[in-house]
Amino acid sequence: MSSGYKPDILWSPHHADRYVICDTELSLYRIGPAGSSETKAGALPLSEETAATLLAINSDTPYMKCVAWYPKHEPECLLAVGQANGRVVLTSLGQSHNSKCKELVGKEFVPKHARQCNTLAWNPVDSNWLAAGLDKHRADFSVLIWDISSKFSPEAVPAEKVRLSGDVDSGLVVTKPLYELGQNDACLSLCWLPRDHQKLLLAGMHRNLAIFDLRNTSQKTFVNTKAIQGVTVDPHFQDRVASFFEGQVAIWDLRKFEKPVFTLTEQPKPLTKVAWCPTRMGLLATLTRDSNIIRLYDMQHTPMPFGDEVEPTIIERSVQPCSESIISSFAWHPSAQNRMVVVSPNRVMNDFTVFERISLAWSSTTALMWACGRHLYECAEDAGQGVAATEKDIATKMRERAQSHYGHDTVQVWRNHVLAGGDDPQLRSLWYTLHYILHCSQYTENVEQKQQSNKQSLIYSGIKNIVKSSSGTTETRRCWSGSDRQTDVPRYHSEERSLALQLCGWIGRGPDIDVEPFLKSLEQEGEWERAAAVALFNLDIRRAIQILNKGASAEKGDLNLNVVAMALSGYTDEKNSLWREMCSSLRLQLKKPYLCIMFAFLTSEPGAYDAVLYESRVAVRDRVAFACMFLNDAQLPRYIDKLTNEMKEAGNLEGILLTGLTKDGVDLMESYVDRTGDVQTASFCMLKGSPGEVLKDPRVQCWIENYRNLLDAWRFWHKRAEFDIHRSKLDPSSKPLPQVFVSCNFCGKSISYSCSAMPHQGRGFSQYGVSGSPTKSKVTSCPGCRKPLPRCALCLMNMGTPVSSCPGTGKANEKADLTRDKKLAQFNNWFTWCHNCRHGGHAGHMLSWFRDHSECPVSACTCKCMQLDTTGNLVPSDSV
Amino acid sequence: MFVARSIAADHKDLIHDVSYDFHGRRMATCSSDQSMKVWDKGGNAEWNCTASWKTHSGSVWRVTWAHPEFGQVLASCSFDRTAIVWEEIVGESNDKQRGQSHWIKRTTLVDSRTSVTDVKFAPKHMGLMLTTCSADGVVRIYEAPDVMNLSQWSLQHEISSKLSCSCISWNPSSSRAHAPMIAVGSDDSNVTYGGKVQIYEYNEVTRKYAKAETLMTVTDAVHDIAFAPNLGRSFHVLAIATKDVRIFKLVPLRKDSSSSAPTKFEVQVLAQFDSHNSQVWRVSWNITSTLLASSGDDGCVRLWKANYMDNWKCTGILKGDGSPVSGQPGALSGILGSATAQSALNGNCPMKCAVMSKPRPRKEKPRGGILP
Repeated sequence: MSSGYKPDILWSPHHADRYVICDTELSLYRIGPAGSSETKAGALPLSEETAATLLAINSDTPYMKCVAWYPKHEPECLLAVGQANGRVVLTSLGQSHNSKCKELVGKEFVPKHARQCNTLAWNPVDSNWLAAGLDKHRADFSVLIWDISSKFSPEAVPAEKVRLSGDVDSGLVVTKPLYELGQNDACLSLCWLPRDHQKLLLAGMHRNLAIFDLRNTSQKTFVNTKAIQGVTVDPHFQDRVASFFEGQVAIWDLRKFEKPVFTLTEQPKPLTKVAWCPTRMGLLATLTRDSNIIRLYDMQHTPMPFGDEVEPTIIERSVQPCSESIISSFAWHPSAQNRMVVVSPNRVMNDFTVFERISLAWSSTTALMWACGRHLYECAEDAGQGVAATEKDIATKMRERAQSHYGHDTVQVWRNHVLAGGDDPQLRSLWYTLHYILHCSQYTENVEQKQQSNKQSLIYSGIKNIVKSSSGTTETRRCWSGSDRQTDVPRYHSEERSLALQLCGWIGRGPDIDVEPFLKSLEQEGEWERAAAVALFNLDIRRAIQILNKGASAEKGDLNLNVVAMALSGYTDEKNSLWREMCSSLRLQLKKPYLCIMFAFLTSEPGAYDAVLYESRVAVRDRVAFACMFLNDAQLPRYIDKLTNEMKEAGNLEGILLTGLTKDGVDLMESYVDRTGDVQTASFCMLKGSPGEVLKDPRVQCWIENYRNLLDAWRFWHKRAEFDIHRSKLDPSSKPLPQVFVSCNFCGKSISYSCSAMPHQGRGFSQYGVSGSPTKSKVTSCPGCRKPLPRCALCLMNMGTPVSSCPGTGKANEKADLTRDKKLAQFNNWFTWCHNCRHGGHAGHMLSWFRDHSECPVSACTCKCMQLDTTGNLVPSDSV
Repeated sequence: MFVARSIAADHKDLIHDVSYDFHGRRMATCSSDQSMKVWDKGGNAEWNCTASWKTHSGSVWRVTWAHPEFGQVLASCSFDRTAIVWEEIVGESNDKQRGQSHWIKRTTLVDSRTSVTDVKFAPKHMGLMLTTCSADGVVRIYEAPDVMNLSQWSLQHEISSKLSCSCISWNPSSSRAHAPMIAVGSDDSNVTYGGKVQIYEYNEVTRKYAKAETLMTVTDAVHDIAFAPNLGRSFHVLAIATKDVRIFKLVPLRKDSSSSAPTKFEVQVLAQFDSHNSQVWRVSWNITSTLLASSGDDGCVRLWKANYMDNWKCTGILKGDGSPVSGQPGALSGILGSATAQSALNGNCPMKCAVMSKPRPRKEKPRGGILP
């Protein structure tokens, strides 16, 4: 306010949507939602949601130094303006037809000696009282309290005053103040104290803060301090006052007025405004000169009054309401929470809300909860909203895949990629690879049992190792099928190479090396280009052309395939033919990778197939198969090594074909997991490996543990149990030991009939001759000592777990029955008991009891058995 | 798509922290009103407040759940210089209201002389351990030797970070290849004090925590820190809330196992976002560490997601009150359009509208809702 031409803001005390900007004139604005019909025309945008409309301008009062808004409802828009000459003028914005207002507007209050008016403060209770703080004058007072209702002074108005103000109607000039305080001093800031609004006035005087008591004007309490500017009372805490001097804010407790309670960290630049937040306890906003930052001090954790031993804790925050532009002034909204309007020196205004710190947390099921202020918001993932699969998070994908039994298809292993959604080419390749590996190993198991172990491990060790072990490669030059012309393309054969081709899926298992079944299946899938390429690489141009024709005539077929077929039919192996020249240049324009490599193959020199081998859009599987056919023993391992490293680095699952389920494969999977976090695929993939070595790798164990943990967190307990079963088949070491047995109260032995850990029990049992007559009554007693078992708390029958599902079977066979029926007896007949109060009964009876009761059925037992275990009360989310 | 909905929290003052349990079926909140609330998800997916009680004699800064295998256990920390361990008990026959659970104070940890700013349980595989950090710069690690008796906690380690601590995060990796590790953030705003994030690692030989790394590039006050769930990855990812959102990758360099020196890391900055345009308060990872949520002084919650190339992008913005951000490109031009029309209308009006207030610039274009 001190520097006259920087705009300041005042918010209307009663209209939450109006404020005044004052610099050389007063402008009244109304704030409203942006884009609404009433504000559309001529609205200034304040934020994304709000805009301001100019309602009125008042430029009647020049030399403005300070402005104060009349605190009562009526008359509205009445403002007191303090001028450079010390006069206080009442003025109004907008048309008010209120007679009282008309009477007041234009009234002037003139001090005896002209000097600058620094500050104004309306008394909030007795609104006729207006306090004005002025600069120092030797013979005059600096704090004048005017009564705006007083009539003009009877004494004659000096002529020069009329001239100065240019006011002809001198009848409106008041020169006699109600109170005069602070003689021979200067007043820089003022506020009325809420403890006694009528009587107490706090003033920042020249070198002290003074409290004037109007009931006894001679009495004043004061404290010497430099912090005399901008005195303001915390609206939520009537004894707390802030004032400032240059860059430092002092907080005072009026009950302990001797010294500031504390001072805030000093700012390098002088402060221009300090204001308490009207909507929140203990929040102070400060602004320094030429700054774009408003600093907020949260003092709610500062106990008042202060014990000396407690150090103040103030949370400091700084906000930038309008990014880089400098703020001239700001004003808190009187009622909207934490909201303020800021204005820049060039009168750009900004509506701004200081947000509370938002704390947030993700749940295990990808719901986001956050707390903003006193409110909580939850943002749950809306499943099935047609989100593209690539957009889905891996957590969502894994959950969906777990529910579709991904990884559990052990017969048709390749089908797992369909269970995973069928839209990921890498997963597709991975599961086909695993399918072929298992396929081949089963075959070798059956046929070549003599060298089984050696070959078995070779199959799992990937093409990289298979190729390395290759020996006895033969080279053949075959004719193009359907023609008797000799090709100059050498093709290599060896046992290992055909094994590799089997793993690639090009040829079936066994000695048969016919590629036709593979072509048929590709045709069925509609992969015409790929089929044609495979046919061509098997030196069967005629078949390739036939496939392309078929593709062109198929439903939704691409007619261009006919053109390609035509081009293909013109193949000639003459080195310098036009066909070769055109094909090698035009093939680069082909969009389909398989068509591209077909021509690359036909136009390449033998042994120089880089255009085929490094075409990254072609499946690794096909490129490797191609390499196994056409690269010699020197080139092949080099190529495979290079490709393997590439795959490992990228974490590309297609590379599992090369690495197999070896340490190399784990390395590759590690970079896949690093990249995607997909421990699910990693766990299932590694469980498919027959050699146990990879399972012992700590990384694999870590993935499995992490995956099980995920399933647990999602409450996919059934899935986790299924996974454990699946795992224990391949990794028997992961089987947990039996957890619990019930021992007889009398003899202390297990009451189990079929405890495999204690075979003598079963034998001992049959000695008592029970085995021949398995009736219900018999199993209600301990097999060891024949004493009866405890009674069910509800039916009061002795408990037991009769093998009612298979009467007539001897006890000796019970274990076999167990595996056949997979259950001992009806669950309702199971023993159950509360580990806390140790009462129990038949599971079925207990369940039905606790459906209606919370306490134990045993008399005088108040145990809330069913609520004891919170996790136990959770329902698995995958049981539906 | 994400849909936000509001829950009537009924706290009397600011909520400082919200925390889910392991299964995401329970939730705890704590507030400046010195109380805590526990919420349970009902069958209809609604949250029901099942416990609300006064906990501390000051603002409660943070609340955290222990793994359910240790029982239903919560820990809270407060301005009143204490941290408290709470356990839910059922079955005592006091006439509690139906549906209300009862939480009792098992222990009060009073070692700190200043406000306890964060409390976290260590990862499950380390046993029942609790860590606190306080404004005087001390990180304390407690252990409950007997998980059946939660009133016995022994102070195992005291780490002095020499800077006022604001937040801690355990590395959740359960891999044996990774030693227990804790990251500590400081809200000291003096940039000359150097790195505000320190990482301590447990040394098996000396049986002490030793500083393994200081992130020297983070010099501004740090408000929150979060290790990403490791999920079997070979490296660690750390998100930091400071004047911007930062994501660091810590790749452990191989070392010979005999050496007792702390692990060396290759530290990479994966991402740095200043789109909150102001201080960032919180960061949180989802369970697979593929989504990061952050909140800042702009009053918005932002979601970040990485593509396979480790390029992080904003995938969603929501305002603190759950409403979508109306910063669509179309809406922006609408605002600017009406502004120019207005200055033309009021050509003779004494307003200085030479510079129109521009909507705050945004780095990314927000989409309609939050996409996962």
